[in-house]
Amino acid sequence: MRQDEADLILSIGLSLLVAVGPLLFSWIFGNIYQKKKQEELGVRVKAFGTDNLTTLKTPPAQVSASGLLSANIIMSVSWWQKLVGGLKTIFGGQVETWDRVLAWARKEALQRLREQARAKGFDNVINVRLDTSEIQSSKGRNTAIEILAYGTGIKT
Amino acid sequence: MFEKPTSHGTYMPPAEGQPVQSIEMLMSNTETIPGQSIIQMLGVVTGSTVRAKHIGKDILAGFKNIVGGELKGYTELLQEARAQALQRLVMEANSRGANAIVNIRFATSAIAGGAAELMAYGTAVVVG
Repeated sequence: MRQDEADLILSIGLSLLVAVGPLLFSWIFGNIYQKKKQEELGVRVKAFGTDNLTTLKTPPAQVSASGLLSANIIMSVSWWQKLVGGLKTIFGGQVETWDRVLAWARKEALQRLREQARAKGFDNVINVRLDTSEIQSSKGRNTAIEILAYGTGIKT
Repeated sequence: MFEKPTSHGTYMPPAEGQPVQSIEMLMSNTETIPGQSIIQMLGVVTGSTVRAKHIGKDILAGFKNIVGGELKGYTELLQEARAQALQRLVMEANSRGANAIVNIRFATSAIAGGAAELMAYGTAVVVG
């Protein structure tokens, strides 16, 4: 009798662990990893100084050289975020987990464009455009988002 | 993204099994090349490529999905693919006798699971 109960509890516990374990892992490590990466990005943005990007089409000054620049990033949500987001779509409203990841991806893509412009010696980037597209894995289960930022670098 | 730029505003297409051809082409996503004026319009040029992912990268990305964040393998893959689309764009503009491409736009569409088409298009022009 005692042995049976212990076995039952053990088997329930194990099956719970198998079902919830990966999600729990994803929640804890996903949070730590994403927070760390976002902080690193924040430091990079701050260290960069004045923004050299603009969505205006006309250059602010006389131009001596120009060139096309582009930067991209592919971002995916974690298992945990995917689950929470999926549940949220049943009730509608703001899907915070996806929201945050997309904002982060866009910020990262813009920062890469800034750094690329500076590395190539351009003073400003005009006519900056942002493009978002969906990338699917071969089985179509996982969806990732690509953010592309592009513009024309100019040397004044 | 742009391999070995010869100077600012010029673009040398990366060699991909083909003999290296360096084409000097000014490119911009604004309506003119900043600081120069358009002499002649030569019509719309397009360059596109369809890419599928490597299975190894797909598996790695599957693991990365646990914590979320950037999928670096895919970022590089699409970067290379877009560079190739631009290379084809430059080739076409060159064959029309243009020395610049203005108002370049990028478009991406998912064709099937695991494959994406990347396209770049713009207007081939002669500037001076």
